[in-house]
Amino acid sequence: MNTGVNSNQRQESDRQDIKKWYSPILARPEIGPIGVMLLLFGMLGYFSIPEGQFSLNPFSGEGFNALGIRNNFRVIAQLGILALGAGLLIIAGEFDLSIGSMVGFAGCVMAITLKWGFAMVIPYISFAGGLHIETIKLFAITDVSPLTAIFITLCFTLSFGWFQGWLIVKTGIASFIVTLGGLFFLRGLTMVSFRAFNKAFSQTAGSTTVTDLPDIKNIIKVPGHGEMEREAAKALPNDQLLDILSTVPAHTIAKISEKLTYVNEKVALYKTISNKSKMIQSLEKSLEGAKKSNNESMIELLTKKIEAGISVPDVAANVVTDIDIAKTYIDTIVTARPVANFFGGDIMEPVFDWLYYTADWNVNMYGRQFADGMYSCLMIWFLMALVCYFVLSRTQAGNWIYSTGGNLSAAQANGVPTNKVKISLFMFTAFCATMFAACQVFEVNTSDAAKGNLKELEAIAAAVIGGVVLTGGFGTILGIILGTIIFGIAKEAFFYIPGIDGSFYRVFLGAVLVTAALTNENIRKRIIGSL
Amino acid sequence: MNNSKKPLIEINELVKRFGNFTALNGVSLDVYPGEVHALLGDNGAGKSTLIKVLAGVHPATSGTIIIDGKEGKFSTPRQATDAGIGTVYQDLALNALTSVTRNFFLGREIKKGPGAFGIMQMNEMDKITIEEMSKIGIDISDPTQPVGTMSGGQRQTLAIARAIYFGAKILILDEPTSALGQKQQMEVLKTIKRVQKLGHIAIILITHNEIHARLISDRYTFLSLGEVIGKGLAEELGGDDIKKLMAGGTEIGDLRDELGV
Repeated sequence: MNTGVNSNQRQESDRQDIKKWYSPILARPEIGPIGVMLLLFGMLGYFSIPEGQFSLNPFSGEGFNALGIRNNFRVIAQLGILALGAGLLIIAGEFDLSIGSMVGFAGCVMAITLKWGFAMVIPYISFAGGLHIETIKLFAITDVSPLTAIFITLCFTLSFGWFQGWLIVKTGIASFIVTLGGLFFLRGLTMVSFRAFNKAFSQTAGSTTVTDLPDIKNIIKVPGHGEMEREAAKALPNDQLLDILSTVPAHTIAKISEKLTYVNEKVALYKTISNKSKMIQSLEKSLEGAKKSNNESMIELLTKKIEAGISVPDVAANVVTDIDIAKTYIDTIVTARPVANFFGGDIMEPVFDWLYYTADWNVNMYGRQFADGMYSCLMIWFLMALVCYFVLSRTQAGNWIYSTGGNLSAAQANGVPTNKVKISLFMFTAFCATMFAACQVFEVNTSDAAKGNLKELEAIAAAVIGGVVLTGGFGTILGIILGTIIFGIAKEAFFYIPGIDGSFYRVFLGAVLVTAALTNENIRKRIIGSL
Repeated sequence: MNNSKKPLIEINELVKRFGNFTALNGVSLDVYPGEVHALLGDNGAGKSTLIKVLAGVHPATSGTIIIDGKEGKFSTPRQATDAGIGTVYQDLALNALTSVTRNFFLGREIKKGPGAFGIMQMNEMDKITIEEMSKIGIDISDPTQPVGTMSGGQRQTLAIARAIYFGAKILILDEPTSALGQKQQMEVLKTIKRVQKLGHIAIILITHNEIHARLISDRYTFLSLGEVIGKGLAEELGGDDIKKLMAGGTEIGDLRDELGV
């Protein structure tokens, strides 16, 4: 009898199903989000193609024309900046509900310092001439540069982030409660500050906005005039514009003139086409009217006319004037405030110029350039995502973040400074909120106490859709990016679906969120071996 | 075993009081390199307190701990680790969600660059992990697999290999075979045997399982109510002695009577 071990004995691995070729692809946690993202991109591309037109090219619709790309990626990038902070914090096992309020608060501090300056004062109680509060001014900066404004804002936001983190790790109170407190506290503080500052200058009850900031990113050095806003420079009297032009080298003028000629010809061409189609439309309308009233001779006449084709005189291109060249030259002058432009300006302008002048794609219905570039927040999101990806997957800090969220006591037993990790990440979410606020303030030159409302929940949702598990220790930056794109694009994609209510995107996102959470939990359990 | 060897760790008259409660009342223990020293006793005998004092979690009230001829005074776990005491607790201090390598080097990553933002040298760390694991008998082909996919025995091995690599001369194993299946228990015992054969590491094995203790132990110390009630070499002690001492000195025969078998 053979009782010994034979080579055909069943092994542990025999109990596993044999893996199919596609198994490794399906095991990637990012596969679900990628699928949903592609679906939404497809929907946005095809449903935004105007009715009656047929095209297999998804880029021919409104969703993915140059302006659509510019605007959609702005929504995505702004949410993405916040989702990075929220996602990393969740991976470390904590929550931050104060992100949205922090956006409003950061915008408030930034706008107020840009408008009224920054001063540090010590208040004290004075008895001279009745009990009242006096202040000693330590120092005051009246003309705050964009960089200083961002720095001052960071001092406020980072210390608040530090305080929230410190309170959570020292007292052990749930981060949900502490940051919920932060949510109310900061939103209230923002409104109070806005009202207090606005009231000081007008006697009516202060509003909770600052709307009249200068267009800082577009302040340029104009030859012979010093620093001024671009629009103001373009509105200068003609003789002064010509003076400015006289300082420009000849080859620059030639280049601008060439470009303007191209633009004018294009505009004229589009006008001709539009005139033609308008004419045909009116003829067809008359024909319909004639058919209704059974006017035989009229029908014959009109049909002949349409068949013969319309000869509309070509619209002549406008002649490029020196004033036009001067104004276009002013548009090309590089900003004198690079920091403001870094946050609020445009990027990739050469690409969009190329798309207009050479690729003949970035053209609007009047023949002019559609979009000038992408919003700068896209670049800031991209840079931050790159750094976060590097830190989380390649550095010691990344290993600490994963272990702090994955198994707190194990991390502590191995000497990981888990409290420092958590506090740093609370400060990082505050940093993300400040970057978001900087992008908004310098882009639109206004600030509003309602800015960032509900953004904290959207950021958490984006992270969860991207595969981050709420209990911590699990998630990737690539996943967070995908989740952000899904969240940012869903609204647009549903907007274009014919015949359905645009608010269905919320229904969709809710379902995706819960499905994602279930899937994430499933993957997590499989990894820790309890499934 | 070679009895002329000097003990690697000498514990003399260790006392630990928590307020009015005396958890350890003058415990003495010598552990030799290359030997497994089984620490046996019923629940509440003081085994856990002894480990925690050795691991630097609780400072001793009185008594001395001499490691390699030098007296050790530990007030933090870090000091105990630096002195060469590696403790592998039951929960193993592993993060099941990350890879074997990331767990092996958790908190002590090999990196290049400034502070916590230094880049982890993954290739080097993977190589060391595979080497150290294979030294005590587990061949992991893929060090990037999550710890959650490993068996309980493999996880135990990972925790032991990690403690040894980071300088543990005295390895304290807290009930390493509990909560494991039969096959896994054997795997862990084999691992401990291999560590024993390395020759330079002193192992303190805490267990409830008399069979496991007899399979691999060289020496025994029995604790009851915070005191040593018996000790000896494996050859000197008979099975009945061990059974009796493990139960805190009561005869198994008495138990039989009580149960009326």
